[in-house]
Amino acid sequence: MAHAIGDARIRIPDRITRGEIITVNSIVSHPMDTGFFRTKDGDPIPAYFIDDVVITYGGDEIARFEWTSGISRDPVVTFTVRADREAPLTMTWKDNKGGVYRQSVDIAFTQA
Amino acid sequence: MSGSTDLPRRSFLQTLALASAGLLGVGAFGQSTRLLGVERPAGPDDPEIPNEAVARIYRERFGGRPITRGHVQLDMPAVAEDGRIVPVIIESDLPMTPERYAKGIHLIVDHNPDAHVAGFYLTPAVGQVSISTRIKMKRSTWVRAIVETNTGELWADYTQVRVTLNGCG
Repeated sequence: MAHAIGDARIRIPDRITRGEIITVNSIVSHPMDTGFFRTKDGDPIPAYFIDDVVITYGGDEIARFEWTSGISRDPVVTFTVRADREAPLTMTWKDNKGGVYRQSVDIAFTQA
Repeated sequence: MSGSTDLPRRSFLQTLALASAGLLGVGAFGQSTRLLGVERPAGPDDPEIPNEAVARIYRERFGGRPITRGHVQLDMPAVAEDGRIVPVIIESDLPMTPERYAKGIHLIVDHNPDAHVAGFYLTPAVGQVSISTRIKMKRSTWVRAIVETNTGELWADYTQVRVTLNGCG
C-alpha cells in the first residue's frame, strides 16, 4: 500500500438517475500530522495536514470543508450531491504546506 | 503512548492554561458559561461550555445566538478504542432548498487541542445534510455538531464519547 501523499479516489454509484441524491465517498492519502508527536529520535514532527477541501459540480462550488489536523490520517469523507445534470464532480484538497491534490469523476445518467 | 509525547502534551496544557488566564483576566479554568460571556438557553441535557477554547468558538462562530437541540443527528461510538480513528456521522432533516438550507456544520470536540475539528459548508446542490468522516480524539469528552441555516438558525446535537487511547499525542 505505497500510496503517495495526495493520491485520491472518489466513488459514486454505478447507476444514477436524473435528480437522484447520490452518496459520494472519497479518500485522500495524507499523514495529517498534528505537530504534537515526535519521532523515535525525539525530533518534533511538524504539523502537516489538509485544511481546505473544495467540491465543484459542473464548475459550480457546491461545498467546502474546513479541516484541521483533528481529521484522521488518510482522510475519508462522505457527502451527498443532487445529480441534476451530467457534469464532472471535482474535489480539490489543499494542505498547510501548499500541496494541492485534485480528483474528478463524471456524473452520468443510466440509459433507460 | 510513548513517553516522548509527554513533553509536548504538557507544554500544550500550560499554553492553554496561560491563554485562558490571559483572556479571562483571572487564573481560574472551567468558569460558568455566564462568566465566559456565552449567552444561550441551555436545555437541561445540554453540555456545559467546558473551557475558553469552546467559549471562543461559540462567540466567534455563533455570536452568542441561541442554539437549540434538534434537527441534527450526531452519531458516534459511545466508546472509541482508538482515539486516532473515531467515526462521525452527521445528518439533519433540515431542508436544502434555495430559500432555506443548512449552510454550515461545525464539529466541535470539547477537549481536543483544536476543538473546532471541522466545518462543512454546504449549498442546496448537495440535496441533504449527510456527512461522515473519521476524526482524532484526545480523551473522553462531549462532541458537538452545530448546524447553521442560511436564515441564521442554529440547531445542534451532542454526544459523549469515551476514549481509551489518546489519538492526538
